[in-house]
Amino acid sequence: MDENPGLSEQYRMASPWPLFVALGLPIAEIGILFDIPALSIGGLILFCGSVAGMVQEAGYARTPWRALAACAVLLFALGGLFFYADAQFGAEGIRFVARGWAIVVAGGVLLFGSVVGSLLVDEPEPV
Amino acid sequence: MAVKIFDRETILDLTVNIIPLFIIGFFLGLFLLYQAWGWDTLPSVLMIGLHVVPLVTLALLTYLSGKAIAGSEKTGDVFHQGQALVPGASEKEHGGAEAEPAIAEAGDEDEDEESGTEETRAAE
Amino acid sequence: MELNGQLALTVLMGLFLVAVAAWLARVENWRSYTPLGSGGGGYGQESGYVSQEKPSGFIRWLTTVDHKDIGMLYGAFGVTAFLVGGAMVMLMRAELTVPEMTLISNQFYNSLMTSHGITMLFLFGTPIIAAFSNYFIPLVIGADDMAFPRINAIAFWLLPPAALLIWAGFFPVPDVIPAQTSWTMYTPLSAGVGQGNQANAGVDLMLLGLHLSGISATMGAINFIVTIFTERAEEVTWANLDIFSWTILTQSGLILFSFPLLGSALLMLLADRNLGTTFFAVDGGGPMLWQHLFWFFGHPEVYILVLPPMGLVSYILPRFSGRRLFGFKFVVYSTLAIGVLSFGVWAHHMFATGMDPRLRASFMAVSMAIAIPSAVKTFNWITTMWNGSIRLTAPMLFCIGFVSNFIVGGVTGVFLASIPVDLVLHDTYYVVGHFHYIVMGAIAFAGFAGLYYWYPIYTGRMYQRSLAKWHFWLWMIGSNVTFFAMILLGYGGMPRRYATYLPQFTDLHQVASIGAFIMTLGALIFLWNFVVSWYEGPVVRDGDPWDLKEDSLYTTEWEWFDRKLKTAVADGGEALPGGEESDAAEN
Repeated sequence: MDENPGLSEQYRMASPWPLFVALGLPIAEIGILFDIPALSIGGLILFCGSVAGMVQEAGYARTPWRALAACAVLLFALGGLFFYADAQFGAEGIRFVARGWAIVVAGGVLLFGSVVGSLLVDEPEPV
Repeated sequence: MAVKIFDRETILDLTVNIIPLFIIGFFLGLFLLYQAWGWDTLPSVLMIGLHVVPLVTLALLTYLSGKAIAGSEKTGDVFHQGQALVPGASEKEHGGAEAEPAIAEAGDEDEDEESGTEETRAAE
Repeated sequence: MELNGQLALTVLMGLFLVAVAAWLARVENWRSYTPLGSGGGGYGQESGYVSQEKPSGFIRWLTTVDHKDIGMLYGAFGVTAFLVGGAMVMLMRAELTVPEMTLISNQFYNSLMTSHGITMLFLFGTPIIAAFSNYFIPLVIGADDMAFPRINAIAFWLLPPAALLIWAGFFPVPDVIPAQTSWTMYTPLSAGVGQGNQANAGVDLMLLGLHLSGISATMGAINFIVTIFTERAEEVTWANLDIFSWTILTQSGLILFSFPLLGSALLMLLADRNLGTTFFAVDGGGPMLWQHLFWFFGHPEVYILVLPPMGLVSYILPRFSGRRLFGFKFVVYSTLAIGVLSFGVWAHHMFATGMDPRLRASFMAVSMAIAIPSAVKTFNWITTMWNGSIRLTAPMLFCIGFVSNFIVGGVTGVFLASIPVDLVLHDTYYVVGHFHYIVMGAIAFAGFAGLYYWYPIYTGRMYQRSLAKWHFWLWMIGSNVTFFAMILLGYGGMPRRYATYLPQFTDLHQVASIGAFIMTLGALIFLWNFVVSWYEGPVVRDGDPWDLKEDSLYTTEWEWFDRKLKTAVADGGEALPGGEESDAAEN
């Protein structure tokens, strides 16, 4: 009922983030599955960065930095799972560790971005 | 909510789901009474479960949806499908007594404003 | 060499990320907007035109979170996928005109068959339903938009990558071949073990694509459940909720319970293939585990696909019968019943696997029970038309075609639910004929009924009615010729999924192929009509192109359309010269 005056006028009708959330996820999945670090890291950064940007845009947070840090923590946990899997069930020819490292590196980049962002950027405008 | 929700009308509407319930119940009874393949704990318990779980969930959902639908029928105006927001749409017979479109009754301010513009437009 | 490749990829990825960041910075500075938290703002001013807030041109479609735009995107995607899946099956039908392998190799036939199934179910069926539900449900229930507009956009944008991954094997990528597992992906074949070629990366990519489409469907489902529960206008009580929204609500519930299961099963399969797990290995969880997991998703999936089309037909068919839907609440309750029972019938796809007879009988009992709600709907549709003043417009014809084909598809299905019959007909063309009557004869027909019925709303123009009728009749005849021939082939014992066959089946296979070519002709007519009318069709200037007001069957989305037309004229825009007045209902 958007012709009516009301709430709808305040909704943003466009957002650049969803496209990149949806692009980051498959890139990251392919990267992790086929053990291609460039794709894992890039895809995860794209995915988590877009999620953080969207969280900020939607008004759930004032800045994206905390969301980035939260994503980084989750990625560390996921990477840790891969290390655990290697320690427990490591089999010949299956590179759990390399995949885990890719995820951890992506988390590290995000954490770095989060710290730098919250220290150096003080305007509440988007990145 | 003094109105009785599960009256004759509602029960009649619900018969449509009572029939599959009956079919499942019938087969459950049949398989319990006549056990063509004997009793073994695992498969027989699974067999009962495969009947009972759908039976119970369907009965529950039918009850809840019947309560939601019949309940809002009793308390508000009832329109034909897709017409609740059409200005001047006629109501179903056994709905509320008033013939006035429900939009005008909406409570808060912006709804009033909305219905106002709608009515002026409809009057054009 | 290997290292160079990795390096190049890293550089490319880095450049891509920088480009994305730069673009985002530009886009974000483009517009001023009110963040959600700040409140106040432009309340009460009647600017009306939402598109003023959107960026223009191509960027608009990439960044939109408006439910109507997303509905259009879903529709465009669904129709495209339908054409791709149709082209695939036409190659197969051409091959099947002769018993031997001639036109395409057996491997390529298997690849096409796999992709045809997955494309039609996941890339056409679900998206085309989402097209209608995204566009119309917020309008019909009086919501401003979907509850989570951005999640809505994410759900759509996951689909194009999903499609590219599913079709990846067909692209000229070295060392990647298309999956040949059929859409059911039964292990051990799909686990890539043994001597076959299914350990190929193409299968992994297909599984990933399917996983993505599952994520997309789940996000959409959550969105619809929340929207229908919380965003309804006050007048739209549970008793006033229209039938299409009811079916979408039920469908979303089914998706919520079944698609995450498919996603998990797919990840398990991927882990089996790549990470050395043994979920579906013979000495692990066993290959049967896959079938149970798959069909516990797969049977609800059937209803995920068929319930909303049933809702569409229940919504559109009364409009051209000049009467209300007979037994509206019967249809609602039976929709809910189908939703629940669909989770209790999965092993009727597995009657021939040698499971315990007690379990088999239980699944048969519930499968029989689920036939009742479907049959109830059929009777409701027929009774709605009975003695009505029927207007045979194109959407109505497609609705009637739906009912007719659904009866054939449904009755053949009831026979299959019976164990003794199923054991004879299992894995024959009878099954293929049965479910094609449902997915093509019913689901696709309802989809096209919707596309024609709402054509004036989303294009502002009217299609060419005689061409639409040609489309219908070619499809009605074509689908019955093709799929009835399949049922007969099944009685004759022709097994499914084969590229070659014994000479005794030649005649019926040729009949089926002729029917398929008739349908192709219909599809080409549709495409021509759809595109040309979009640019050149007569402009619709009235919010009631189907004359629904005469029978007081006018509904909210047309009311919205009417207001949009009037606002547009008042603003001085969109009054396109040259188009003639349309009087759609005169036929």
